[in-house]
Amino acid sequence: MVRREKAERLADEELMPLIGAKDPEAFEVFYDRHGGAAYSLAYRIVGERPGAEDVVQEAFISIWRSGARFDRARGSVRGWTLSIVRNRAIDALRSRAGKAPKLTFDDEAILEQRPAEELTEEEAMRHETQGELRGAVGSLPHDQAKVIELAYFGGFSHSEIAAMLGVPLGTVKGRMRLGLEKIRGELAEGLA
Amino acid sequence: MSEHNGHERWSEELAAYLLGALDPAEAAAFEQHAEGCERCRAEARWLAPAMQALPESVERAEPAPELRQRLMAEVLADVAGVEEGDTEERRGWRQRLTGAWSRLGDGPLGLRPLAGVAALALVVAAVAGYLVGSDGAAEPSQQGGAQETIVAGEAPGVVAEMVSEGEGGSLHLSNVEQLPPGKVLEAWVQRDGEVAPAPPLFEPDDRGQATTTFADIDGVEAVMVTVEPAGGSEAPTSEPILTMAMPE
Repeated sequence: MVRREKAERLADEELMPLIGAKDPEAFEVFYDRHGGAAYSLAYRIVGERPGAEDVVQEAFISIWRSGARFDRARGSVRGWTLSIVRNRAIDALRSRAGKAPKLTFDDEAILEQRPAEELTEEEAMRHETQGELRGAVGSLPHDQAKVIELAYFGGFSHSEIAAMLGVPLGTVKGRMRLGLEKIRGELAEGLA
Repeated sequence: MSEHNGHERWSEELAAYLLGALDPAEAAAFEQHAEGCERCRAEARWLAPAMQALPESVERAEPAPELRQRLMAEVLADVAGVEEGDTEERRGWRQRLTGAWSRLGDGPLGLRPLAGVAALALVVAAVAGYLVGSDGAAEPSQQGGAQETIVAGEAPGVVAEMVSEGEGGSLHLSNVEQLPPGKVLEAWVQRDGEVAPAPPLFEPDDRGQATTTFADIDGVEAVMVTVEPAGGSEAPTSEPILTMAMPE
């Protein structure tokens, strides 16, 4: 077991093998770093505190018990963690609504989604302030923001969104694409 | 092959895929295409930072300190479970469980365990509502509630959680493999070393999640789940996919 002071000096990617070896000090540091962002995301999705706490607890315990599975070549620990939290929150949201979970919320699959080439830009993005990130997302035109909101934070499929908004499926897909491209463009300007 | 494999059509799906808005079959088809399409993969890499910005852009909310306490209690209970795996108490549990199943095992084992789902023994791992002291011993918490996790655990293949509901409880399983046709899950409870079926029979949904309820869990020493023929069995006919010791 590492001492807390030492664990605090380690990078996330260095903490994960320790967590995989069941080091509670390493896990505590990991939670202190990302628990706030994880809870914020869960709360944003499920909309109530007890439910958000359940999601975070489940997600972090899942990570504690599968920490050794993290593969640093496939992305950052924070991105991986927030993906797990998001998927579990959507799962909880859909379960509460009496709907079968739509997606394959497999924590392992999250690792597969993110190629190593993302790392450089992602690491750079972590230095963006939260305000800048919120600004990039908040700058979207309403129709683009709406479809991204419904998909990412609401867990709705593109066909569900098309039905809800009364627009063609192709329009939903187009707005999603334009929205992500615009956020990406804002971030690119911030990184320049 | 990227230019001549329908990239333009698949490219329209990329944002929906990244946002998790494709149905599972559509997502699988997209992934299959993207494996052989460098343009799709390059576009995904370019858009990835935008996806990373979404969770980071939400309004910050502070979790209650109790969440951290519960989390660390669960983690420390896990560690204590590993380090004290051969304590007298745990040996006692193991003997009781082994004894129960060896008695049950006298009958024919008509069904092999599900492929890939190893027989699983869950130690008393997580006790929300219990506080773990510095010596790792669990003590009853003063933060009682109507519904609390009594015990939870995870091992390769299956995750399980028992939640109290009045005098009874509900057992939530996830990552359960799909059952062969004509098979169901049956739960069993052990009291005073005796094992009895605990209806109702249940099945995993298409995401591998399964839930069953227990009308009364008072005095239950252990809960087990086996795969049985449709209609259930009076005694287990297969090795358990789950054996969970309940806290005393």
